[in-house]
Order: sequence, then structure tokens, then C-alpha cells
Amino acid sequence: MSETSAAPLVSIEGLKMYFPIHAGLFRRHVGDIKAVDDISLEIFEGETLGLVGESGCGKSTVGRATLRLYDITAGSITIDGTNTSKINQADLRRFRPRMQMIFQDPQGSLNPRMNVADIVGEPLDEHMSLSRDERLARIHELLDAVGLNRSFANRYPHEFSGGQRQRIGIARALALNPKFIVCDEPISALDVSIQAQVVNLLEDLQKKFGLTYLFISHDLSMVHHIADRVAVMYLGKIVELAPRDQLFNSPLHPYTQALLSAVPEPNPARQNTRVHIVLKGDVPSPSDPPAGCNFCTRCPKAIDICHHLEPQTIEIEPGRFAACHLLESATKVA
Amino acid sequence: MKALLLGAAAIMAMASPTLAERGSDGELKIIYWQAPSTMNPYLSGGTKELEAASLVLEPLARYDEGGNMVAWLAEDIPTVGNGGVSADLKTITWKLKEGLLWSDGSKVTADDAVFTWKYCSHPEGGCAQSEKYNDVTNVEALDALTVKVTFGVSKPFPYGPFVGAQAPLLQAAQFADCLGTKAPECTDANFGPIGTGAYKVTEFRPNDVISLAANTHYRDPAKPAFATVTFKGGGDAAAAGRSVLETGEFDYAWNMQLAPEVLAGMQAGGKGETVSAFGTLVERIMINMTNPDPALGDERATAKHPHPFLSDINVRKALSMAIDRDLLVEIGYGDTGKPSCNVLPAPEIYKSTANDGCLVQDVEGAKKLLTEAGWVPGADGIRQKDGVRLSLLFQSSTNAVRQDFQALIKQWWGDIGVETELRNIDASVFFGGDPGSPDTFQKFFADVEMYANNFDGTDPESYMANWECKQAPRPETQWQGNNMPRYCSEDYDALVAEMAKTGDLQERARLAKAMNDKLMQEYIILPLVDRGRVSARSNALGGVVMNAWDSELWNAADWYRVK
Amino acid sequence: MFNYTIRRLLLAVPTLLLISFLIFLLLDLAPSDPTANLPLTIPPEVREKIRISLGLGEAFHIRFLLWCKQFFYNETLNILEQWWGWDFGGDRLRVLSWQTRSPVVDTIVQRIPQTLWVVGMSYVVGILIAVPIGIVSAYKQYSWFDQVGTFVSMVGYSVPTFFTGVLVIVIFSVWLGWFPSIYDTTLVVNDWSSFVQQVKQMIMPVSVLALYNAAQISRFMRASMLDNLNQDYVRTARAKGIRERSVILVHVLRNSLIPVVTVIALGVPQVFGGAIITEQVFKVNGLGQLLIIAIQAGDVPTVQTLTFIFAFLIVFFNLIADVLYGILDPRIRYD
Repeated sequence: MSETSAAPLVSIEGLKMYFPIHAGLFRRHVGDIKAVDDISLEIFEGETLGLVGESGCGKSTVGRATLRLYDITAGSITIDGTNTSKINQADLRRFRPRMQMIFQDPQGSLNPRMNVADIVGEPLDEHMSLSRDERLARIHELLDAVGLNRSFANRYPHEFSGGQRQRIGIARALALNPKFIVCDEPISALDVSIQAQVVNLLEDLQKKFGLTYLFISHDLSMVHHIADRVAVMYLGKIVELAPRDQLFNSPLHPYTQALLSAVPEPNPARQNTRVHIVLKGDVPSPSDPPAGCNFCTRCPKAIDICHHLEPQTIEIEPGRFAACHLLESATKVA
Repeated sequence: MKALLLGAAAIMAMASPTLAERGSDGELKIIYWQAPSTMNPYLSGGTKELEAASLVLEPLARYDEGGNMVAWLAEDIPTVGNGGVSADLKTITWKLKEGLLWSDGSKVTADDAVFTWKYCSHPEGGCAQSEKYNDVTNVEALDALTVKVTFGVSKPFPYGPFVGAQAPLLQAAQFADCLGTKAPECTDANFGPIGTGAYKVTEFRPNDVISLAANTHYRDPAKPAFATVTFKGGGDAAAAGRSVLETGEFDYAWNMQLAPEVLAGMQAGGKGETVSAFGTLVERIMINMTNPDPALGDERATAKHPHPFLSDINVRKALSMAIDRDLLVEIGYGDTGKPSCNVLPAPEIYKSTANDGCLVQDVEGAKKLLTEAGWVPGADGIRQKDGVRLSLLFQSSTNAVRQDFQALIKQWWGDIGVETELRNIDASVFFGGDPGSPDTFQKFFADVEMYANNFDGTDPESYMANWECKQAPRPETQWQGNNMPRYCSEDYDALVAEMAKTGDLQERARLAKAMNDKLMQEYIILPLVDRGRVSARSNALGGVVMNAWDSELWNAADWYRVK
Repeated sequence: MFNYTIRRLLLAVPTLLLISFLIFLLLDLAPSDPTANLPLTIPPEVREKIRISLGLGEAFHIRFLLWCKQFFYNETLNILEQWWGWDFGGDRLRVLSWQTRSPVVDTIVQRIPQTLWVVGMSYVVGILIAVPIGIVSAYKQYSWFDQVGTFVSMVGYSVPTFFTGVLVIVIFSVWLGWFPSIYDTTLVVNDWSSFVQQVKQMIMPVSVLALYNAAQISRFMRASMLDNLNQDYVRTARAKGIRERSVILVHVLRNSLIPVVTVIALGVPQVFGGAIITEQVFKVNGLGQLLIIAIQAGDVPTVQTLTFIFAFLIVFFNLIADVLYGILDPRIRYD
């Protein structure tokens, strides 16, 4: 979708999200967990940007910070022409209808004491003034849209299966006609058989309502299926961002290469010939990232410079970005 | 006679201008930190109930602050001299004052007295004061105002029935259906007895509060000065004292059992003062003359086995000499106690002066005495003789002052080479008298024990009879009896028997003193402290005369508001 | 739910019978004597007569069955008679206290108002204080408010009421003279001035007990709020664009209250049980004081009846708590 020439719907620049660490008797501020450390990306209208990475790399934080569920440490976020990064939480409420989120845990993200109608209808009460009938009609409409029986409206979340709960979560997110939805691992808590259904539903809804997704997942094959472009995160930073096919076919960054080599290959012939890159060691702590490139401690191709200089994100080809010293030298040579 | 009475009342009224009119002084507020459970003294022997009831119910005669008997509902005190008591000491005839009315307006008659005797002597009634009617074979009304009490034996001291706060008159009409097993079912009567006293009950809340109002039929038209009385119960001595001495919310607080310095601090508030009176309550150590060794099984602590070392009078005497009674008083009781060398400390005519040597502590003398008697310190500093070590078990009830005393005495006894092990037992068990419990003060499964005791009224006859041989608690008596030391002396029993048939007061006093001296000089009982009654009175309350011989509220009719 | 409740109620009957038997057994085994507190001047034979007149001469099982009959049958009939004015006739012996020789149930009924007024009010006040404190403490975890709240709770929970009670009496009654130190149980509220007096005499005992209750409940509230504040549905609510107030009060609070409400329900029997120490300190003379005096006096019928009523209330409020849980939390269904 790199050809989408229109202005991006969401544009994030230099986003930092640090969580302070307090310790000691007086709970002094002794350091930060750098969950998201200076990332920039753009999401274009109607596209799905996949965000992948190992657990703990900060991808969920990016999603939440983008929607300003956190007060961010630094950077700017522009959604649909509005810079939301500095607006305080109370004023931000006005913009909430435009941007919504679907959560990973469909059980925990639904208030157990509210029935489906209240869960789906609450944003309507909060942001629109509908009559009771209109409200009910809208709830039914949303339940229809996500493929749930209208009679479920009076039931409580615990009475549903995981897939059904996630549909409720989706209906809730759709209630206010958002433009942009952050899907934070929406399927990882579901049975494999249900995952496809939900992903297909998301795709259908995207077509129907012209939605823009930030699709966060650690499941590369699912991202391959749904995303138009993919960003790969490692330890709070984006290491590579490229259109889907290019990324999956010819990953540039050593980390992306390692990640993709772990994806099971349906073709046994190819599976056998493939080089399986095994990363050694643990992911460093985000409170104390290594000097230089964040990946240098585990990178099979690390060179001297990687240990003391942080690589810049560069556009290797139009629409393909990566942050790696090896690629820098490659482009220079080219 | 009536005119004379009225005249006397008029004189009283003039003498005290504040008593001009009945009910003119508003509300009297009394606090008893132990709340009364009933207003019927015959159903509860507790002091709190007796005193509360004494505002309403009155006896024929009672004791004044000096321990003298004064006629109350009776015209005068019957004696052999005035013919009221028969020469054989078997009958006593009381004459009621004329014109007495119950608070419901009906007349007080001799029949009420007859009924009261029947009520308390009913075999199934469980009357708590039946001791007062001991040996009474008949009570009859000779006429409307004359009551004749007949005893089965000759009673040198016939002033048990109808005398003192324990034996007041009940109204026959009110309690007619409450005899025997029916007694507890008469809740209304038990909570609101109709009396002749200055006040009558308007509301009784058991264990909480009693509301009373002036009795409009009270014999003195000018009394009582207060229109109402609120008699609050509950809390603790400190709180009760505080409410009188510090905040001034109450006028009178009963039984200030507080540490001397606490009481002094409260009085510094200047809102009131403590009032005290000394009666016969003596804190004492009882010596076990029998062997409490558990190895003796059923014969433990019985006369069959004399105590291995306490049967030596030198040891007992040394134990007494080692004690500093002044210090005990100072630490435990302050102004509310005085050192005592007699188990019979009062009234004055019974008080012996033969034993006052005990007031001075003499540790060296005690040591010398023990050494001379052959008790010499062993390697561990504990004296012993023939393999017997002077090692004591000292028990008492659980109570802060008693534990202080135990600790002090243990130290003094340690100074003279006597080892002491202390033990304290919950009061309800210790005094509980349960024959199944090994921890009662009657069973006395220890070498020495400490508690306080006294006697009702002023006559010590039955009190001194406590130390007769036959009074010793033993298995045959279900461990009942008052002779805790299991003291047994023919001479003593003879004195008891003699007193039981002696009518002359001076002679009775001589006998009582002799008994006291015998117990003291044989060191069977080591008296420690003569404990007074202490209460607190607000400066705004006048007329309080503290009385150790009767109810503290005995003259509540005379109380008034100081303006 | 209905079936469940009925089944629990039926199960409660044998439970309570067993409890009453155990209480009776324990009281019988305990070394206590109703005549123990009488002056020593009352001779042993008189004491023995008193004991027999109290029915202590009978065998254990006779006394227990007699109590059961008096309490479960006679008293029930008596209550029916009083409430509906029926007359069953007959001469029924009620449970009589050994101290007062009057029906225990009448005394209990007499004591309930002051206990409910003071202890009940303190419970209500405690809850009213505790819930907001718990909410704010959790919402602003580790803020100065939370720290102060934690400290006050710790003090309220750990400093015994006999200390705080006497302290406030010394300050407000002795030094300042604002409030009476002794509670007047006979006060009838019928006009403004008597109402003011009632409020004045209730302030100290209620505050002392409320501090204690609030300390406990606010900790529960805080912990429960903290549990829920980190739940995903709270983030969902915020993502929906719900007002922060509504997020806290509607989403977090309502879920947090589930365990707190049951804790509160389980605490109600303690209200009826009275606050023995506080009642004693302020001379409120409620059910707690009745119990402690009865224990001290060896008044077995009163102790037995009171403890049984407490046992009943505990069993009953346990059921209430369970049912409330079912009503409040749609995830829980009893079938």
C-alpha cells in the first residue's frame, strides 16, 4: 500500500513511553523502563499495519500509547489531523470515538457486572444522546455486524465463549463509528479454530466500514494474512518496516530474518532447506538496554560498531525502512 | 408520739434549710460501676443489689456510721433491759413506728414482717439472706404493729432478722404470690419492690440503670430533698470516679477500688472528694495447717496430715515478722487501708491491742527465730531442717493489688530464706466453691493463700466461729466450710461455745478478743490490711455519711444539693 | 437461588442445634459458679440452696432440654403472643437469668436499642468513611493521602478501643467538658434538645468504634479497588472515552464492592454482639455489656441465650453474604 499517496491517518513521531521505577523506603525515582523508545511510523487510511515482535518488546505499549491510554513521555501523535499527544485526558474524551481498541483478553476487558447491551451501549450513552429505542436499535445493529444473536443483549460476559466475547469487544469498539482501531493481539487468547473467524470478521468490517487497523500480534502468519504493511519491534524500537510481501519475502534486518526463520513453512521441501536462525541469550531488560544497537547482544551478524553506536532508521527502498549498521554500509556501498 | 415525730422532722427541716421541701433539689445521680441485677435483696446477696435496694426497702433497725444499732422502722431497739428480748434470749419483740406507709399508700403492718420471714425461709426459694433468719422458728404478729420473733435456741444476739440492709421488710401484698419456686417469676415485684424508703422505683433496667422518684408517702414530709434519682450501673471504678471527681456528671460513685495515686490525681480536679469508712474487711494470709501434697491423694489438705513445716509455729511467726504491712498499705490502698494485726479489727469494743507488734517489720528477728528453731539455710539459700525445705506455694485470686502484694511478700520471705512460688486464680473459680475444682480457696491445695473477708453487721459471733474444728473444709463436707487453715483447738471451740450462750456485751467482747488473740498469737492467720470502703462524693452533694456497717446509702433520705 | 437459600436455611437448623448444644456443654464444663461473686459472708449452705433454686441440681441433659424447650418453644410462643396479641394460654416458664431472675429475652430486647444506636451507627459511619477513603487511597496509590490513610488505618486497627475510648473521654469530657463521659440509656428523644443530647452522648463512642470499623473496611476497600483498577475492562472503559469519574464509580467501584459488601454483611453480627469494651468504657450497657456481666456472674442462661443468638446471626448473615454475592456478581449462580 505504499502507493497510498494520501496523508496518513495516524502519524507517530519520536514516541517515547517510559515507566518510572520507584524503589527504596521513600520510593524514589531510580530509573525507567523504556517500553517504547523513540519510534516513528505512519498508518494510512484504510490500511492495516501489522506490528510484530516478541512478547515484552513494547508493541502493546505502542498501541495503548497511540490511543493515549497512557500519558506519553515524549513524541507526537497525530490522528486524523489532530495532534492528540498533548491533550489532557479529560479533553481527549471528545476524540475517543474516532479511535478505539480491541483487547487481547476478551474476558478481562469486559466488565463482568454489565450485560452485553450495557457494554456495547455505554459509549453510546457517553458520546451520543440517543433515545432508548435508538440506542437499542444501534446495539442490535452492532450485534448483527459482529455476527451475534440479538437475544444475547441481556446476557453477561461470563455466559459466552472466548470467540463470542471477542465479538462483543469488537461490537463495543465499533459502536461509535471509529476510523482507527488498535487491535491489541485480538486473537491470541482464542482457540486456533476461532482465530480465523475473528480475523475474517475484522477484515470484513474493515471493508464495510473503511476502518484503519493497527494490528498488534506476535503471530507472524496471522499478520501475513491481514496486514498491508508490517513493522517489526525489538526492545522498544522499530527495527524494520516494510510492505508485507517484501518483508516476508526478503527481510532486511537480522532480527526480522531470525523471526521469520522461526515461522513454520507449510511446504516441507522448503522447510527442510531453510536455514533456521536461532537467537542466543535473553532479551535485555528494557530498563537497562545495551549501548549501541539494542539487538547487538543477540545479533548473529553484529559488528564492532553495533556495540557503541545506535543505528539510524533509513529508507532502504521506497517504503522500506530498517535500522541496522550492516544496511547502512550496504546502501553506502551501493 | 406522732406529734413528737413531726416535731422532730420540723426541727431537722429547720436545721438544714436546703431540706425545706421534698423534691426541691432536682435529680440525684449515683453511679455504681457494678450494675445491680435486681432490687430484691433476698434474691441476690451482692453488695450492689443490697445497696440499690436500700433506697427503697428498709429494715426495722440498722447500723449507723459508728456501728451502733439504730431503730429505723421500729420504735426502739428491743433489749433484755427494756423487755423487748426475753430473759432466755429466745424471743425478741419489735414495735413498729406508727403511721408508716408503703409507697403505694397502704399501711405497714406486722404482717409484712411475718410475710418477709416466710418469704426468705421458704425451702425452695433459694433466699440469699436466709442466714439472717437462722434458728427462727416462728414470727408472729401480736397486733398490727408488734412483731414477735421466736428462736429455737437462745440467741444472745437476736438482731439477725429484719436488721441491716440484708433483711429489710417486703410488702406482703406485693410478694404474696412469689413464694418459693415462684420467686424468680415475679419480675415486676423483684425489679420494683414497694418499700418504705425515701425513694420508689419508676423504672428498673437490669444491669444498667435504675430510675427512682421521691416516695410521696415517705414518713418525713420534708424528705427526700431530691425529686428523682438516677442510679447508673456499669463501667469500671476509674470511669465512675472520673464522672464524680473530674467531670462532675455524677454526685456519688461507689467503691473506688483504685490505686492510691490515681485517686489522688482525680481529687486534684476539685469537683469532689473521697469518703471512706472502715469496717471489718481484712486482707489476710491464711496458713494451711495441713499438708496439700498431691501425693496424698484424697487425704490431701485434710487434718490427717499436718503440714510438714507450717505446723511449726516459729515458721509461721517468722513469715508474719518478715512482712512490712505499712508498705503494703501504701502501695495497695493508700488512705483506704490501714495496717492490721487483728483478724477482728472492729468495732472498737472488739478490737484487741495485744498484737500490735506486727506493725513493725523485723527481718533480722525472723531470721534469728528460724535459725534458733533449727531451720538453717541450705546451699541454695533456702532454709531447711531434716530434709524439709521452706518452700511455699502462695495462691490468691487474680487482682492487680493482690499480685503486687504477692510479689512483695515473696521477696520478703525470700529475704528470710523462704522460697515462694506464686499462683493466682480467677476470682470466680477461686471463690466459686465448686467441689470439683482443685483451685478453690476452700480446698486450699497450697501452703498459704490470701484474700479478704469480713462479717455482716457488728456482731462477730458467727465470724469468730469460722475457726471451729468442725468448720474445716474436708471431703466429708463437700469441701465447704470457712476454717481454711483447718485450725483445730479445743480451747478455741470452748470459747466459741461460751460466746454462743453469753448475752452480756462486755463479756462477749472479752471472748471475741480472746479468740482473735489466740488466732493471732498462734499465727494461724496473718492479717495484713484493714480495708475501708471508699466512695466518691461530689462537692455539690451534702449529707453523705459514709457507713461501713450498713448500706452506704443508708441515709440517702437526708442527702441534699449543696447550693 | 431460591432453592439454594431454602436449602441453606434447612441446613442451618441442625447446625444451630449442634451449636447450642456445644455452647451449653462448654458452659457446663467451664468452672463457673453463679454464687461465686456473692460476698463471703453468705454461707455455703445458703449458696447450695441458691444453686438448687437455679436448677443446677438437675442432670446436664435435663437442663439442656429444658433450655431448648424454654428458648425454642416457650419464647417463640411468647413473641407470637406479644406481636399479634394471640393468647396460647398456659403457664410457660421462660428462660430466666440467674442474676436478675427475669426473662433473658426481655433484657435482650431492652438492650437492643442502645446497641443498635451506638454500635450500629458506628458501623454505618465506619462504612461511610471507609468506602471513600478506600477508593481514594487505591486511586491515588502511594500518594500522601494514601500514606496518611494507611497510617490512620493502622492506628485505628491496632490501637485498642479501651485506649482510644479513655483518651477521648479524658480530652473531650474531662478537659474540654464537651460531651458526657457516661451514656444515658434512659434518655428519650422527643424534642430538639434531647436530640442534641443524644447526639452529644453518641459522638464519642460512635467515633471510637467507627475509627476501628473504618480502619478495617477501608483496607478491604482499598485492596479490592486496587485489584479492579488494573483489570482490562477498566482500560476498556477508558478507551471507550468514559468520564474518569464514571470509570471509577461505575466500573471499578461496583466491581470492588462485591467482596466489600460481603465483608460488611459478615460484620453485622458483631454489631448485635455489641462492642464489649467500648460499651464498658462509655457505659452504654448494650448487649456486649450484658454478655460480659453474665459471664462474670456465671449466669449460664443469659450467656447461653446470648451466644446462641449471636451464633444464629452469624449463620444467618453468612447466608446473607452468600446470597448478596450471588446477586451482585452475575458470574456466581447457586443452583
